[in-house]
Amino acid sequence: MLRLTFRNLGANKARFAMTTFAVVLGVGFVVASFVLSDGLRSSFGDLSDEITAGTDLQVRPVSEFGEPVPLDETLVDEIAAIDGIRLAVGFVEGDESAMQPVKSDGTTINSVGPPQLTFSWVDDEGLGAFALIEGSAPDETAEFSMDVDAATSNGFVVGSTYDLITPIGVVEDATLTGTTRFGSANDTLGAVLMHVSLDEAQRLFGVPGTVDEIAIRLDTDTDAAAVVAEISQVIPTYGVEIVDQATLNAEQKADFNQGVDIVGNVLLGFAIVSLFVSIFIIYNTFSIILGQRVREMGLLRALGADTRQIRRTVLGEALAVGLIASLIGLLAGVGIAQGLIALFDALGASLPDSPIIVSLRTIVLALTLGIGVTLVSALAPARAAASVAPMAALRDGATLGHQSSRRRLVVGSTLLSIGIAVGGFGLISPPSSTLNVVLVLGFAAAAVFLGVTLVSPVIAEPVSRGLGWPVAKGMGTAGRLARENASRNPRRTATTGAALMIGLSLVSTVLIVGESVKSRLGELLESSVQADYLIIDDSDAGVTPKLAADLADTGQFAAVTGFRYDEVRLAGFVTDMIAADLSSMGLLLSLDLQSGTLPAADVTDVIVLHTDKAEDMGVGVGDTVTVEFASGDAAFLKVAATYDDDTILDSPIVPVQVFDDAGAAAVDQWVAASLADGVSAAAAQPLIDQIQQRYPQVSIDSAAEFQERFEASIDSALTVVNALLALAIVIALIGIANTLALSVHERTRELGLLRAVGMTRRQVRRMVRWEAALVALFGALLGVAVGLLFGWGVVSALPADFAGSLNVPFLRITLLVAVAAAAGLVAAWLPARRAGRLNVLDAISHT
Amino acid sequence: MPSTTTTGIETDVAARAIGATKFYGSGDTEVRALDGVTAEFERGHFSAIMGPSGSGKSTLMHCLAGLDTLTDGRVFIGDTDLSTLSERNLTLLRRDKIGFVFQAFNLVPTLTALENITLPMDLAGRDPDQEWLDRVIDAVGLADRTSHRPSELSGGQQQRVAVARALASNPEIIFADEPTGNLDSTTGAEILDFMRDAVDNLGQTIVMVTHDPVAASHADRAVFLVDGKIVDEMMEPTAEMVLDEMKLLSRR
Amino acid sequence: MTLLTTHLPASETIAARAIAVDKFYGKGETEVRALNGIDVEFQQGRFTAIMGPSGSGKSTLMHCLAGLDRITNGSIVIGGTDLTSLSERQLTLLRRDRIGFVFQAYNLVPTLSALENITLPMDLAGVDPDPVWLDTVISTVGLADRLEHRPGELSGGQQQRVAVARALASRPELIFADEPTGNLDSTSGAEMLDFMRRAVREMDQTIVMVTHDPVAASYSDRVVFLADGRIVDDLADPTPDKVLDAMKRLGD
Repeated sequence: MLRLTFRNLGANKARFAMTTFAVVLGVGFVVASFVLSDGLRSSFGDLSDEITAGTDLQVRPVSEFGEPVPLDETLVDEIAAIDGIRLAVGFVEGDESAMQPVKSDGTTINSVGPPQLTFSWVDDEGLGAFALIEGSAPDETAEFSMDVDAATSNGFVVGSTYDLITPIGVVEDATLTGTTRFGSANDTLGAVLMHVSLDEAQRLFGVPGTVDEIAIRLDTDTDAAAVVAEISQVIPTYGVEIVDQATLNAEQKADFNQGVDIVGNVLLGFAIVSLFVSIFIIYNTFSIILGQRVREMGLLRALGADTRQIRRTVLGEALAVGLIASLIGLLAGVGIAQGLIALFDALGASLPDSPIIVSLRTIVLALTLGIGVTLVSALAPARAAASVAPMAALRDGATLGHQSSRRRLVVGSTLLSIGIAVGGFGLISPPSSTLNVVLVLGFAAAAVFLGVTLVSPVIAEPVSRGLGWPVAKGMGTAGRLARENASRNPRRTATTGAALMIGLSLVSTVLIVGESVKSRLGELLESSVQADYLIIDDSDAGVTPKLAADLADTGQFAAVTGFRYDEVRLAGFVTDMIAADLSSMGLLLSLDLQSGTLPAADVTDVIVLHTDKAEDMGVGVGDTVTVEFASGDAAFLKVAATYDDDTILDSPIVPVQVFDDAGAAAVDQWVAASLADGVSAAAAQPLIDQIQQRYPQVSIDSAAEFQERFEASIDSALTVVNALLALAIVIALIGIANTLALSVHERTRELGLLRAVGMTRRQVRRMVRWEAALVALFGALLGVAVGLLFGWGVVSALPADFAGSLNVPFLRITLLVAVAAAAGLVAAWLPARRAGRLNVLDAISHT
Repeated sequence: MPSTTTTGIETDVAARAIGATKFYGSGDTEVRALDGVTAEFERGHFSAIMGPSGSGKSTLMHCLAGLDTLTDGRVFIGDTDLSTLSERNLTLLRRDKIGFVFQAFNLVPTLTALENITLPMDLAGRDPDQEWLDRVIDAVGLADRTSHRPSELSGGQQQRVAVARALASNPEIIFADEPTGNLDSTTGAEILDFMRDAVDNLGQTIVMVTHDPVAASHADRAVFLVDGKIVDEMMEPTAEMVLDEMKLLSRR
Repeated sequence: MTLLTTHLPASETIAARAIAVDKFYGKGETEVRALNGIDVEFQQGRFTAIMGPSGSGKSTLMHCLAGLDRITNGSIVIGGTDLTSLSERQLTLLRRDRIGFVFQAYNLVPTLSALENITLPMDLAGVDPDPVWLDTVISTVGLADRLEHRPGELSGGQQQRVAVARALASRPELIFADEPTGNLDSTSGAEMLDFMRRAVREMDQTIVMVTHDPVAASYSDRVVFLADGRIVDDLADPTPDKVLDAMKRLGD
C-alpha cells in the first residue's frame, strides 16, 4: 500500500503542487521569522559585546517613576579623581532625530527611516565605541562628525559646512569635522550616528551643566568592589546607580532583542495566518482528489483492501506532501529571510551581516507545523475515502460520503459561540501580557473562522444563488450554469470561500478600526479643540519650548501653550501629569470646568484635576495636594479647578513653572495655538512660515491640516498591515484556482456533454471563470461579515477617546469585495482554459 | 420546416460517410476502428448501426456527428463536409443541426428537465419554437416533470428528457448511442417506441448505435459493422432477422 | 495442487449458490426489482456464463454473489459461507482471499505497473505470491515482457489480460468476470475468452462470467439466462447458434 501512496503522489503531481505551494509559503514565513531573528540576535549579541567591552562601570541616573533627572556634570571630575579609575567621561545623548543635518541639496535625510542619533564625543574608543576615520573630532560650537557610511551615502564631505536643525533652531553653517566608525564594522543598521562636543550637546539639547551618564574605565589590577564603594561615597544617595559591564551588556542585548522580537513576531503572526489559510486549501484538495478516485478506492475495496488500508494510503499521501512541502518551506524560509534583509537594505536600514542560523528548533518547528497542518487537513477526507463502498468501482458518478450536515452545523455553531465568547472576554478584560492577548484573540479568531466555515455550507447555496442571479441574467446559459455550479456543491464553495474569508475579514477589520479611529479624531477635533493650530513632532524628540515662545512673540496669537508630560507621584500614586499654560487653556481646549477657575499666568502653585481624580482623592477647590517628582523634589499645590471633558487631557494639569522647578520634562510633546481676535489665518501665515522655517523638524498645522496628516499616517499604517495580509489572500486565490481546476477535472463528462450539444469553448471558459468569481464573492462577503463582527468587537473594546462608535468605510470595503471577485475571475484563468480545451470525445467517454 | 409525414421511400441524404477510416494508437497498440466505411443515412429514416463490441459502430457515429475526426476519408452532414470545418464551426454545427442521445450521462445535473431540453438553443441564444417544444414535451409525456432535476427522475424518464432535448431544436439528424443500454426491457421499449414516433410523426431523422437485436428491430434499416467494416445491411429488420444475421456473422 | 489436471465434468462441488434472492433498488415510483426470486448454483471447476438483455439483472446477480452488494431477501452461499451473516470487514476479507474479479472497464489501478496490479490482492493481504504459480499465470497470459508497463501503456486487450492474471494469481475459489470482453475488438475478445476457458480446463479454476454477447457465452460450459430479474433458461455446452436460438425464444 505504501507503493500506492507514492504512485498516487506521482500521478497527482500538478494538483498536489498547488497544495504544496500553500504549505511552503506558510512554513517559509515561519522559518524566515526564526532564521532572521536568530541571525540578528547573534550579530546584535556581538555588537553589544563590542559596545560595552571598553566600559568597566557606568554611573547613571535612575528613577522609580517619570524621567530620570540627568547627573550634575561636576560628578564627572569627582569620580575621575577616585583611585583606581583611569578614565571617567560624561555623556550627553540627544533624543532621536533631535538634530537633523541638512544635505547640500537643502533636504534632510529621510526621517521615516532609521533614526538619526547625536552623542557627545568621547575621545576614547573603548569608552565611546567610536573611532575617527577621517578628519578630527568635533570640538567647537557648530561642529559635528558623522559615521562614515551615513556621510558617504548622503553626500556629506569632511570640511564642508551644513545647516543643522536642532531643538534650539537651525544652526547655520556647521562644519563636518570628521567621519567615524562605530565598533569594528560600523554596523549602524542604517542609523545616522553623529557627534558634537559635550558643551555643544548640552547647548543644543537644553541640558546645560548635566550629563546623561558617566562611563568609567578602571586601572588594571584594581579591586572593582573597592572603587564602587568609593564612587558610592561621591554620588547622591538618591536617583543615581552604578552598574558593571555585565549588566550593561545584558541590558544592551535585551534592548536589541526586543526590537528583533517585534520584527520576528510580526512575521510569525502573518506566517501563522497563512498556514491557517492553507488548512482549507489542503482539505479541499484532498477531498476533491479523493472524490475523483472513488472508483479506484472502490476497486481496491472490491479486491479486498480494508478501510484501514485505504485510510493509511491517504494519510501517507498527506504525510509525504507535508514532508516535501515543509522541506521546501525550510529552504524557501532561508530565501525569504535573505529577501527581507535585502528589502531592509533597499529601504536604507541595512541589517548587520548576520549568519544564516537554521537551528534545530527551527527545523523541528517547520516540519511539525508543515506536516501537522497537512495531516490535520487530510484527516476528514481520509475518513470519507475509507468509507467508500466496493460497489463504487462499478458505478459511474459515485461520490465521497461526508459527515452529516447536522453534525457539522452543531460543531460549527459551538465553535462559533466559543470563539465569540472567548474573543469577547479577551477584549473586555484583556490578559496582562501582550502574548496572552494575542493567544486569546488568535484562538478566538481561529474558532470563529472554523465555526463559520462549518456553518457556511448551509447558506452557501442560497447566497451563491442570489449572488449569481445577475450573472445568470446577464451571461446567458454559461452564466446560468456558472451560478448552478457555484451552488451545486455548497460544502466545496464554502470551504474554498472560507480561505478567502480569513484574509478579507482581517483586512476589513483593520479598515473598520482605522476608519473608526479616524472618525473619532474628527469628532474630537470638532467638539473639544478650539485651537487654530496644532504642532506635533513626528519623532520622539518632542517640540522645543522655544517654538511656543517664538509663536507667542509674534503677537498674532491670543493663546499659545506647549504640553509636557511626565510621571509623578500624586497622593501616593504614580500618575501622569501634564504641564501647560493654564491661563490660555480656555481658548484652546474645552475642559468643561466643573468648579473653580483657571489660574492666571503668574500663579504657579496650583493644580487642575479631572473631577474623577478629585473625587478619588477626596479633594476639592482650595485643598492642597502633594506632588513628588522623579528628581525627589516635592511640590505642594492648591486645587484651582476641576474639569470634566477628558477627550484630550485626562491627567492633572499644572503650570509649566512647576515642572521647571522640579526638573521634570523640559520638552513639549505638542503645542496648541489660537489666533488673536481680528487676526486672519491668511494674515498670520507669513509669520507662521517664518517660524516653520526655523524649526523644520515639526510641522505647524491648522486643525484641518492636522486631521489630514493624522489620517494619512493611519492610512499608511493600514497599508503596511494589509500588504502583509495580502499574502493570506494570495494563498486563498491559489486555493480558488486549485478547486476550480479539480472541479473541471471532476466534471469532465459533463463538460464533454455540454460541448457535444454545442457549447462553444468561449462559453465553457466563461462558465468556469464566473463560477470562480461567485465563489470568491461568497468568500469575500463572508469575510466582510466576519470583519464587521471583529471590527465591532475591537472598536467597542478600544478606549472611547481612541475609537468611538463603529464606523464602516463602505466604499473601501465594497471596492475590496469587488477586487476579490475580480481576482477570482483571474485566478480561474488557467482552469477555464483547460476546460475549454478538453477533447469532446475523451470527455464523453471519461470514466 | 418539419415535413410531417414520411413514407420510408428514399428521400435525400442526411449524413454520409465516404471511405471513412480511423486508426487509434500506433505501433503495437494500433487499433483500426474504422476501415474504409462508406454509408448513407437518409432523411426521415430511423437507421440502426449494429455490430459486436469493438466493431467500430460507436466510432462511426462519433465521426458522423463531428465529435471525432477521421484518419482518412470524408463525412458529410447534409451538404457540409465536416473535414473542412474549424473546431468552432463544428461546435456550432453540433449545436444547431445535430441532436444527441447517449447511453448514460445525458443530462446536466444542475439543470431542470426543461432547461436540459432547451440547452442547445439556450447556448445558441435562440428562443425555442414554443409550439414545437410543447409538442415534443407532450410527446415524451413529461409535461408534469419539466421542473424536476435529473436526480429526481427515473432512468427511463432521464432518457426521455434526453430524447426530447435532441428533438427540441428540430435538428437535421439525431444520433443515439445505445440509448436503451442502461434501461430495463419495458422502459427501453418505451424509449424506442417514442423514437419511432418521432421519425414517423415528427419527421425526424435518427441514427442509432446498438448491439441489441430488439432495439434494432424498431429501425427502418440496420447496418452491420464487424472489425471496422460494413459487412451487411437489411431493410425493415425484425429481431429474428437481426439474430439470424448475428448468427451468420459469428460464424465468420 | 497439480497444475495441469484435466477438466473433470459434472463435479458435484458447489462453488456458489443463490437461494430465493431478491434485490430491490429505490422506493415508490422509482423502485426497480433488479432480482426477483433467484435460485441458482454454480459448480466448482466450471466456466458458467450469465446472459440476459440490458437491465435483466445479470450484473446485479454477479455483484450480490461476489459480496459486492447486499441483497434484499434470501441468501448467498460461497463455498459453505453464508454471505448474509458476514460483517462488512469479513466480506472484505472474503473477497480478498477467496474471490477474483475481472470487470468490463476500470480494472486496473492506473498508477501501478502490470505486475503490481497482478499481485495487488496479495499485497493487500500482506502475503507473498507463490512464485511458481505466478510465473505460470503470467506466461499463460503472455505478458512476461510487459510486466513493468503501466495500464496506460497497454492496449485494451492487454489490460484485460492483466486483470484476468490478477484474478488468477491468488488462486481464488471463484472468479467473477463482468463483461470482460465488452470493450475489446473481436480478435482480442476471442483471445481473452480462450484464455479464460484454458484457466478453467487446465488450471482447474471456477469462473462465472456475465455477458450479453452470444459468442462470448459460447466459450463457457453452461449459460444461465436472466430476464427482468428472473432466471428464464439454462443451457449446457452452448454454441453461438444455441445461444442465439435461446435469445430468440426469449424475445418471443
